[in-house]
Amino acid sequence: MAQQEPQQTERSLTMSRAMVEAIAHEMREDDDVFYMGEDVADYGGIFDSTEGLLEEFGYDRIMDVPISETAYLGAAVGAAQAGMRPIAELMFVDFFGVAMDQIYNQMAKNTYMSGASVSVPMVLTTAVGGTYNDAAQHSQTLYGTFAHLPGMKVVVPSTAYDAKGLMHNAIRDDDPVVYMFHKRLMGIGWMPAPEGPKTGVPEDEYTIPFGSADVKREGSDVTVVTLGLHVHRALEAAESLTADGIDAEVIDLRTLVPLDTETVRESVSKTGRLVVVDEDYQSYGVTGEIVASVAEDGLGDLEAVERVALPDVPIPYARPMEDEVIPGVEDIETAVRNANE
Amino acid sequence: MVSGNELQEMYETMVTARHYEERLQEEYLVGKQPAFDISAGPIPGELHLAAGHEASGAGVCQHLRDDDTVTAPHRPHHIAIAKGVDLKRMTAEIFGRESGPSKGKGGHMHLFDPDVNFACSGIIAEGCPPAVGAGLAAKKQNTDSVAVAFLGEGAIDQGAFLESLNLAAVQNLPVVFVVEDNDWAISMPKDRITDVENGARRADGFDMPGTRVDADDAVAVYEAAREAIGRARDRNGPSLLEVQVHRRMGHFMGDPEAYRPAEDQEAAEQRDSIERLESELRAHGVDDETIEELRDRARERVEEAIEWATEQPEPEPDDAYEDVFVNPPSGVTDSEPSLAETGGDD
Amino acid sequence: MTATDDRVAVETGDVWPADTDEDEGVVVNWFLSEGSRVEAGDDLCEFQVEKVSVDVPAPESGTLDEIALEEDDEFERGDVLAWIDPS
Repeated sequence: MAQQEPQQTERSLTMSRAMVEAIAHEMREDDDVFYMGEDVADYGGIFDSTEGLLEEFGYDRIMDVPISETAYLGAAVGAAQAGMRPIAELMFVDFFGVAMDQIYNQMAKNTYMSGASVSVPMVLTTAVGGTYNDAAQHSQTLYGTFAHLPGMKVVVPSTAYDAKGLMHNAIRDDDPVVYMFHKRLMGIGWMPAPEGPKTGVPEDEYTIPFGSADVKREGSDVTVVTLGLHVHRALEAAESLTADGIDAEVIDLRTLVPLDTETVRESVSKTGRLVVVDEDYQSYGVTGEIVASVAEDGLGDLEAVERVALPDVPIPYARPMEDEVIPGVEDIETAVRNANE
Repeated sequence: MVSGNELQEMYETMVTARHYEERLQEEYLVGKQPAFDISAGPIPGELHLAAGHEASGAGVCQHLRDDDTVTAPHRPHHIAIAKGVDLKRMTAEIFGRESGPSKGKGGHMHLFDPDVNFACSGIIAEGCPPAVGAGLAAKKQNTDSVAVAFLGEGAIDQGAFLESLNLAAVQNLPVVFVVEDNDWAISMPKDRITDVENGARRADGFDMPGTRVDADDAVAVYEAAREAIGRARDRNGPSLLEVQVHRRMGHFMGDPEAYRPAEDQEAAEQRDSIERLESELRAHGVDDETIEELRDRARERVEEAIEWATEQPEPEPDDAYEDVFVNPPSGVTDSEPSLAETGGDD
Repeated sequence: MTATDDRVAVETGDVWPADTDEDEGVVVNWFLSEGSRVEAGDDLCEFQVEKVSVDVPAPESGTLDEIALEEDDEFERGDVLAWIDPS
């Protein structure tokens, strides 16, 4: 897939600011776009997802709602079907349990169940991810859960540049899009981001097509496929592996639905070795899906396969245990070395 | 006061809905007798018929326009008919034909007609939040359209309903919630699911008007709905109505209703809202001939719809891969997955 | 780094959060690098006091000549974060 190179720009933005810039642009262009969620107006989003929008757009378009996800996510579905283009925020993806019926039985299925006579042009934004000791109910990514259920496009940005282009696309898309932003990448002062997600971001609008994975680092020995926070962990691992003479290619999936298997397969046909890194649970998830999709059509290319994901335990609270289960840079390095043997 | 003309319109709507359910019952049971096999016969799947609910659909929808939104539950036909959903196409959908509004992907619990803003869903109280959303859209778009969410009394303990009452109230949205109380949540009588006999009292907790229409009476429903829908249209906020109806054909086709005392069924049938409205028509001076004309027209419309629907072709198997998205990403839909190529036996 | 006399200091006094007694902050994000062209009012960087984040606008148009405090550096209210060369 064609990859737009970041244009030369002097200005760098955090991921949250890049997201907000795209949302503000779309809201200026189209009166039907509005944002609805818990603590999105005066607070500006717990993870800065709406920071500064209230001042420009007011309470009618940056709507705080009661802690009532079933009602307001379902209301977003109804408003979308009635011609609006709502963006509705689920504060933590972990809260999906209280509202999943509206998400997967209405938002995701109404287009199909209506024979496409109805469309649901809405964006469900949600914060994902751990690494800050918030334990089992506030640290999950649940990428696989959403990508598994048909009818939702699923977007996971890893940089400010990608976040803006993907957000423009998400708001303009006539289908429901789940936009999963990793808390650790947002560039929030109290949750410092790693090196990498803050990038140059053009002030003009631009879109990044869904289904276009991005080769974040070219390499010839091993293909590392990942997304979200772990793009940056994989890049760090790849740099350190050069000392071992291993040249790893790092692919950022950017969207899970649609999934760009072509870019992955091309890379594996070159390297012959596949390592999939995911912050979601290992079983029945992204890692298995990527490996299977490569094996189906390119089994002959595969010399080695490794998976690095969250083992099948809920995410623990205390630091040593959380560090143990969430894949770290060293875990990725080990997996790449194993694949390269 | 309701006009004679409106009484006749409601009567025709109700007679159409009743005849429709009677005819679907016959069609549904083809191939299912003497032994009931849910997979046999011309109508696929489950079938929840609404005979006995007619007063609710007709009395409420009499006040609605095409641009008003209605969400209905799993027992939707009488509401769809009253809202003006195309009867032929809706029937084709129920028979699983490609000319249905959902091209056979939805069926009788998932009828959509964007021309008259009607949708229904198979999950209890699930239509309440989208109705709130339609009300929110009306407010934002500054129109005077309203949204009505229908649900059964078995749904009044669902979070989706209670959360929707709250969101509609706090946002002051033009939404009316209509609880159709047919006394039975599948096999559970109302007094075993709630201690609150009058379900409209749920409104008190949200500082919203709540009204119960206690009799199977289309005119009383009409009057109560006029106030609630008028209030919504005038941007004075949401309301809750509970409407007494009755269930004549079981929870779904094939329901033996062994749990239901025979006298309960008989008593319910005695409260026939169609007979009641017929008396009302006569009291308004409508003669037998006119009533018979209305009945004939309703029957004819139903027969035409069923005839047309059953002439429609079934969808092609490959159509299953379409319509996951309106804007399908290449390679995700509209192409047959590789499994089907190796798994088929043809 | 030779500071010329006409350089303009970028300070935090005007934007310091009103509802805090805290006099120490930390630089969280720089949005421009040294040598970048800036317009007066452009957000240059973001600092944090307790859990509150504040953007620092450019006081003058010109070139971001020198970043005195890098990301993660702690500083006291009144310290100079950077210098702008308005020429």
